[in-house]
Amino acid sequence: MDMLHNLTLGFSVALSFQNLLYALIGCMVGTLIGVLPGIGPVATIAMLLPITFHLPPTAALIMLAGIYYGAQYGGSTTSILVNLPGEASSVVTCIDGYQMARKGRAGAALTISALGSFFAGTVGTLTIVLFAEPLTRMAQKFGPADYCSLMALGLVAAIVLANGSVLKAIAMVFLGLLFGLVGTDVNTGAQRFTFDIPELSDGIDFAPIAMGLFGIAEIVVNLEKKMSRSGAIKVTSLWPTREETKRAWPAVLRGTLLGGILGVLPGGGPTLGAFSAYTLEKKISRHPEEFGKGAVEGVAAPEAANNAAAQTSFIPMLTLGIPSNAVMALMVGAMIIQGIQPGPEVMTKKPDLFWGMIASMWIGNLMLVIINLPMIGMWVKLLTVPYRFLSPAILLFCAIGAYSLQNSTFHVEQVAMFGVLGYIFVRLGCEGAPFLLGLVLGPQMEEYFRRAMLLSRGDPMVFLQRPISLGLLVTTAILLILMALPNLRKAREQAFQEEES
Amino acid sequence: MNRFLSKDFLAGVMFIAFGLIALYFGRNLAVGTTVRMGPGYVPHMLSYIMLVLGLIISVIALIYGGEITEAPKWRPITMVTIGIIAFALLLETTGMFPALVALVFIASLGGDEFKLWEVIANTVVLTILCILVFKVGLAMNIAVLNGVW
Repeated sequence: MDMLHNLTLGFSVALSFQNLLYALIGCMVGTLIGVLPGIGPVATIAMLLPITFHLPPTAALIMLAGIYYGAQYGGSTTSILVNLPGEASSVVTCIDGYQMARKGRAGAALTISALGSFFAGTVGTLTIVLFAEPLTRMAQKFGPADYCSLMALGLVAAIVLANGSVLKAIAMVFLGLLFGLVGTDVNTGAQRFTFDIPELSDGIDFAPIAMGLFGIAEIVVNLEKKMSRSGAIKVTSLWPTREETKRAWPAVLRGTLLGGILGVLPGGGPTLGAFSAYTLEKKISRHPEEFGKGAVEGVAAPEAANNAAAQTSFIPMLTLGIPSNAVMALMVGAMIIQGIQPGPEVMTKKPDLFWGMIASMWIGNLMLVIINLPMIGMWVKLLTVPYRFLSPAILLFCAIGAYSLQNSTFHVEQVAMFGVLGYIFVRLGCEGAPFLLGLVLGPQMEEYFRRAMLLSRGDPMVFLQRPISLGLLVTTAILLILMALPNLRKAREQAFQEEES
Repeated sequence: MNRFLSKDFLAGVMFIAFGLIALYFGRNLAVGTTVRMGPGYVPHMLSYIMLVLGLIISVIALIYGGEITEAPKWRPITMVTIGIIAFALLLETTGMFPALVALVFIASLGGDEFKLWEVIANTVVLTILCILVFKVGLAMNIAVLNGVW
């Protein structure tokens, strides 16, 4: 009955006027950026971090979560109607979604993707409710050595699933850890890498780094490309035929399951979920020749999968404090800005925040279905706004937002600096996500590492003597070994190549 | 010569550079022992790891070659950076409005199309929006124009 009690608490928090409003704002902003190509949820959440600083913690996290899953809905709309994926996770939806639209089935494709997403979102939210408590209980038994190993596992897994070169991803994690060191050493009070700049003594603020690396760099890269816009297809009837419904449902179920599982994995998330679901559908379908020509399953499964994954990727972050992808790392950053230490204590010490956020995700999913289907026309119109109007506006909000963090122009300058660094990363093919994970986990990891070594009197064997820690390290090692196997490496490269093409 | 311009080689060099910078600026931090770690223990460890990884990445890139870095287009990144820095310098000295105008104009120069009338229109809209959101809505303590409002 505990669960019922928790859910009641959650809904009572989520249904307050203020939280409903922020959930709605989050969903709208999410849909908006999902529709607009060239600006994704990572960049948006990064740039909105300063604003959340001025909100109560629950409202702030509800809004950020709304942006994340709202983007999954918005991205599919433009994929289907304009053949332009607003989001990486909707790239596969283009393949069959746009073909359906050309056959005059745009409305059906949109409805199937919205309802499939809603179903997947509901299942995802329920999964979080089911797993949150047991996982949190388990995490509470962890000692410093176990935590250190858990973070190592999280980081390594994120690398394995990262796009591109593994070695570079590892180096990016360490670089993130290094940047995380800036500031006053907690144990001794020594100043590390502060260059006598007083603003740096508390460490580099998370928000300017995230804004620069993801927001500014993304804008610059977009400015370099010429963006072409094509006309949208008119939507006639929203209702799918009985035949389409019959084919879509099983696909939605399979997509939800696959996406839900992949979302929990470190480094997983909506994009991986959507791609895997599409591949699975194509393999098991009795009409594989229809894929690419407007197969209903090709829309239903990936759309369900990306939304399910968006929901379940909250599980490791909420229960263990370990972010599984860049968006979750930003959520951890947002919590730290609010003075909440992410981890198993969040559920016990702040049950209203924890359950309120989960309940709001379901409400948000419901809002998205209701808002989106009637408003599709308006969202598509937005696509006609040229990027040269948008980019200065985004930069401006970034700059003012960074300033508002502490009323300091130093933060604005930091945004510019990290923008340049982020651009260099992009040009050199170094991914920002592992860097961000290292940056977020670094300070905690050092803390746990030093505490573990102190407890064991400097004996590193402690990491192998505790069963939990040993198990986690063995898993980490297996992942690393698997990575080195040539077969798997090829498969991984292939998977990412498909994603890029 | 091409191999020195591959993404991987340059990335390796970047990691080595970060390792060296961290070693240099962290040289005065006490390392301590494994039992009682000083503030410099972890920084030193990370710096050496960066050096080794950077070295491996760049050597592999030299032997096997790799994707060549595309020549960067200088205008967008330069204009965006200058725009933000200009905003930072002008905000407290002159107020939000001049800072905003500078940012919008300079950043617009970074795109491949610059039409004066469009930029002016954009500036007007954004000024109104910013005053409404930040000055009126969030009641932030920023002067629109120093000494005037």
